[in-house]
Amino acid sequence: MRRLSFRGAAALLTLLLMAAAPGCRRRTTTVETVEEDNAQLASVVQTNDAKASMQLLKGFYDIENGAWRWTKSEFSVTLKAPPEARTKGAVLKLSFSVTEPLLQHTRTTTLSAVANGSVLEPETYTKAGQYTYERKIPAADVQGEAVTIDFRLDKFLTAGQVEERELGLVVASAGLYPQ
Amino acid sequence: MTRERALATAAWALPALVCLLVYWPGLRAWFQQDDFAWLGLTSEIHSQRDFWRTMFEPKAQGTIRPWSERAYFMGLYTLFGMDALPFRVVAFATQLLNLFLLSRFTQRLTGSWWAAGGAVLFWTVNPSLGGPMSWSSSYNQLMCTAFLLGALVLFQKYLETDRGAYYWAQMAVFVMGFGALEMNIVYPALAALVALVSRARKVWSTAPMFAISLAYLVFHSMVAVTPTTGPYAKYYDRSIWKTLWHYMYTSFGSPKLAELDLPLWIWMAGIGLPYVLGAALLCYAVRMAWEHRWVALLPAGWFISLIGPVLPLKDHLTEYYLTMPSIALALWMGMGLEWSWRKGFLARALALVLACCYLVAAAISGRSVAQYNYDRSNRVRQLVLGVARAHELHPGKEILLQGVGTELYWSAVNDQPFRLSGFDDVHLTPGSEEHIEAHPELGDVTAFVFPPGATLRALRKNQAVVYTLDGGKLRNITASYKAVAMSQLKDELARRIDAGNAAYGGQLGAGWEPITKGYRWMGQQSEVYLGGPRKEGEKLYLSGFCAALLVEKGPIHLSVSIDGVVFPPSKIEAPDRAFDLSYPLPPGLAGKDKVTVNLSLDRTYIPPDDGRPLGLVFGSLAIR
Repeated sequence: MRRLSFRGAAALLTLLLMAAAPGCRRRTTTVETVEEDNAQLASVVQTNDAKASMQLLKGFYDIENGAWRWTKSEFSVTLKAPPEARTKGAVLKLSFSVTEPLLQHTRTTTLSAVANGSVLEPETYTKAGQYTYERKIPAADVQGEAVTIDFRLDKFLTAGQVEERELGLVVASAGLYPQ
Repeated sequence: MTRERALATAAWALPALVCLLVYWPGLRAWFQQDDFAWLGLTSEIHSQRDFWRTMFEPKAQGTIRPWSERAYFMGLYTLFGMDALPFRVVAFATQLLNLFLLSRFTQRLTGSWWAAGGAVLFWTVNPSLGGPMSWSSSYNQLMCTAFLLGALVLFQKYLETDRGAYYWAQMAVFVMGFGALEMNIVYPALAALVALVSRARKVWSTAPMFAISLAYLVFHSMVAVTPTTGPYAKYYDRSIWKTLWHYMYTSFGSPKLAELDLPLWIWMAGIGLPYVLGAALLCYAVRMAWEHRWVALLPAGWFISLIGPVLPLKDHLTEYYLTMPSIALALWMGMGLEWSWRKGFLARALALVLACCYLVAAAISGRSVAQYNYDRSNRVRQLVLGVARAHELHPGKEILLQGVGTELYWSAVNDQPFRLSGFDDVHLTPGSEEHIEAHPELGDVTAFVFPPGATLRALRKNQAVVYTLDGGKLRNITASYKAVAMSQLKDELARRIDAGNAAYGGQLGAGWEPITKGYRWMGQQSEVYLGGPRKEGEKLYLSGFCAALLVEKGPIHLSVSIDGVVFPPSKIEAPDRAFDLSYPLPPGLAGKDKVTVNLSLDRTYIPPDDGRPLGLVFGSLAIR
């Protein structure tokens, strides 16, 4: 009885070891890379796009649920100026969510922004939900190839209030659009 | 085939099949985290002395595991390189052996193949096995289990037959088990429990085992460093009870369901099942004690013996610590189910429902752990092997990784897997540390971040390529990254440099030799320029290596001056060893764009086949 059981065990172990047989050569393994670097700076950045992560200059955390990123109280993006922006200016749109826990702790939060040094009108949020912060940027501030926008919240979740991180908004995208 | 034989086979073969089904992703998992440190051990061996040191020298957490970590990783890496499948096959084969041994152990303990089959099945699906079945660094749990169960089965045979051969064989297996995991120290307690419930007068035969465990404890405390800070620090206080409750509760497996994206009722069932199942098992144990069937109490002793040593680790609660203790739960449920089966319809139905609830909840949880480790290790594989390919395509260039998040950093980059491919000129782009949660107890993210100034210079000179992990492949984004970098990064001196990295060459003054294999020798006097400290109170850190020939005639002395402020010489005497030195920065340097560091040795050496006067090997120099 025991001999048969032992044989069975040995057979299963042998099968497993056979499964490893193809790997029984020391080999250098690599994974192909994508080398064509035709990516340009984007005018609109989805925060879940790994390729665009370099345009999220500071204040953004890692991608969550493959869809969005939390920000800190201060965060910055750099965006490519859209066509004709040098003459007509551009429209900044930031799509984000104000979360319930944030307003439970702060009651209100005001988002302000500075585009290439020019102050944009702030906006105050008192209810949780999805919002788009939309402001016109005059042509004088869109003269370079890219525009850097620095955002700031006056009230936010400090580190330790809800979790270990400082938390601001949940941002889905930021973009510069033609006027 | 007789009924008995069929039962004996089914008692381990069916659970073995379930094991393969539940943990299948673990068979295909790649490497991650600590695996790379273990794989890298092979590169430290240059002589027979190195081999013995690498095999048996205690590691930072006080671990000495020559079979389950050193031999396992070094042996398979030497044979198969970065192919993870053989590592996983060995882990699965060990676990199948464990299932076989557990079926034999339980049958001898209870006299029932039904109880044995139940125990093996219940243990197989316990999610505490999810880690060891899908992550090679926790293989030590599986191997230690094999030693413990193997020794116990031999001990049972000794108790049954009185044959000395079995006794000495179990003793040999027990002693060998110390090479798998320190937890092996509790074996005498387990053997004594088995003796007490099987043949009480033979319990004295375990006395030599206790003596061996005591000797190991003394030896271990003499040679291994016991951490007093960090996650492995031990606390002998009331927190032990909280930790015990945590492990008792989570050993049922179902609470893990709460971490998964499942309907609310399943979530609630997962939270509640341990209480219901625990109460049922307690009732069974009380009833057995009332009937003086002491074997039913053995699992309690088993659990306490095996979880006891990790209870003081309140800051390191890890599911895989339950790998061996969870056998207690499985034994209890196996025995309880078998007993209930003989107690009429109601008891049978109740036991069956509870058993099914546990099996389903635990299997889902165990599978989720294996799948999680597979998915994570697969992303690590894409990154590490993708970087290897990028290195082939762009030899000699610095590889900068953009968009590495918290999980990928801590499961791959922090353990420097790229060194296994023979290069280490891989860094994160400036600002990457913003996206990565800090874990100072695990490492310093900033040490891997390439400084802005060096990044700009490398990009301008076409000495760097930038990649990001996108859709399972590394994508070259050098041109678009360069466009952002040129407008955002400042050309400033780095506060931390690798002397052996050409990108930092501009920060080295006189007295340095050319780069050799990622390192650089200093001469008798060498100069370095670093970015000034951000604030007062920071220090200068030097890390490097001292060749044996340099201290052949006695210790050498390194004099350091920072912007003209001279520090007392540091004595270095350990041959062929790394050194780490630090110096408090003089006041008034905070905010300076540049500080000059001068290094001076009282002696150099000239290698016979070289002719150059050489000093220390660097290494990194950093202000932080």
